[in-house]
Amino acid sequence: MPALPDPSPRQEFIAGSREVAPSLVGTIPFGLVVGVASAAAGLTPFEGVALSVLAFSGIAQLVAMQLIAAGSPLLITLAASFIVSLRLLMYSAALAPHLAHLSPRWRWLIAYLMTDQSFAMTVRRYGEPGERRHKHWFFMGASVTLYWTWQLAVVAGVLAGAGVPSSWSLDFVVVLTFIALLVPVVRTRADFAAAIVAATMALATAGLPYRLSLVVGSIAGIVVGLVLDRRHWRRA
Amino acid sequence: MSTWLAIVCVGITTFVLRASFIVFADPQRFPRIFRQALAFVPPAVLAAIVAPGILLNQGRFDPSADNLRWLAGLVAIGVAALTRSVMASIVSGMGVLWFLQWAMG
Repeated sequence: MPALPDPSPRQEFIAGSREVAPSLVGTIPFGLVVGVASAAAGLTPFEGVALSVLAFSGIAQLVAMQLIAAGSPLLITLAASFIVSLRLLMYSAALAPHLAHLSPRWRWLIAYLMTDQSFAMTVRRYGEPGERRHKHWFFMGASVTLYWTWQLAVVAGVLAGAGVPSSWSLDFVVVLTFIALLVPVVRTRADFAAAIVAATMALATAGLPYRLSLVVGSIAGIVVGLVLDRRHWRRA
Repeated sequence: MSTWLAIVCVGITTFVLRASFIVFADPQRFPRIFRQALAFVPPAVLAAIVAPGILLNQGRFDPSADNLRWLAGLVAIGVAALTRSVMASIVSGMGVLWFLQWAMG
């Protein structure tokens, strides 16, 4: 059997950062939007950047800053950011078996840096054949590149955002970003039903304080999607 | 103070979700129904965020042509479906909104 090449950590790191490079075209404007939105929500520049460093997730940051701006109680803010970040739990479960051999320090670091993009790329990499011992360096190359690009874009947005007048309606950019994320994830009839029910319930409960409608709508949509999905499973 | 508390707690929440199985738990103990439910998180959550953002006009449900964000949002949904591009959706939606705001004076 021919020996498959075993790239060095350095080679893996470079391969990872090369692979993530094209998607940075989307990361930079999204980071700018999140930075501008944090200024619009009334966070100080330092608070906006701290949220970005601690949460490192565009969606969680947007939801959290809107709830903070609305003066929501801590529990509501946490419930909303928990729900919008649940997909990270799914990623964590999928990657865990591949990382079990690493030291705890490595696993803490990888967990902190995990995002939609780095997860998707790393899962593909781990699915490729070959006994490569340094695959986690591939994850590091992709994630570290993405991390600094994201944080710098947020900082730029935070600094620029303070000077944008509200008549420009730049808050609408956030809604448009979510539209662009929503449309591609509606693939099956159950997805569609989940989205419609979530939208309807969110509108019906819009009068509730602290944007509780987000939590109510999300849970209603997830339950309906799950019910339709399971009925389908039983028939199949 | 409460802002800082919220920022730190949101950071802990996202980290704990990321670290859940990588650092703390065994994925074998992940019940299947929960995995199925997670598949519906993206469409449900995003729809619950988007709908009030385009269909509420000064806090009231308004699916009429007077609601400029609704019109701009519909255009962006069409563009997103055709192009799958975040940039194209933002540019088209903001373009329509600014044009309508300008046209309505």
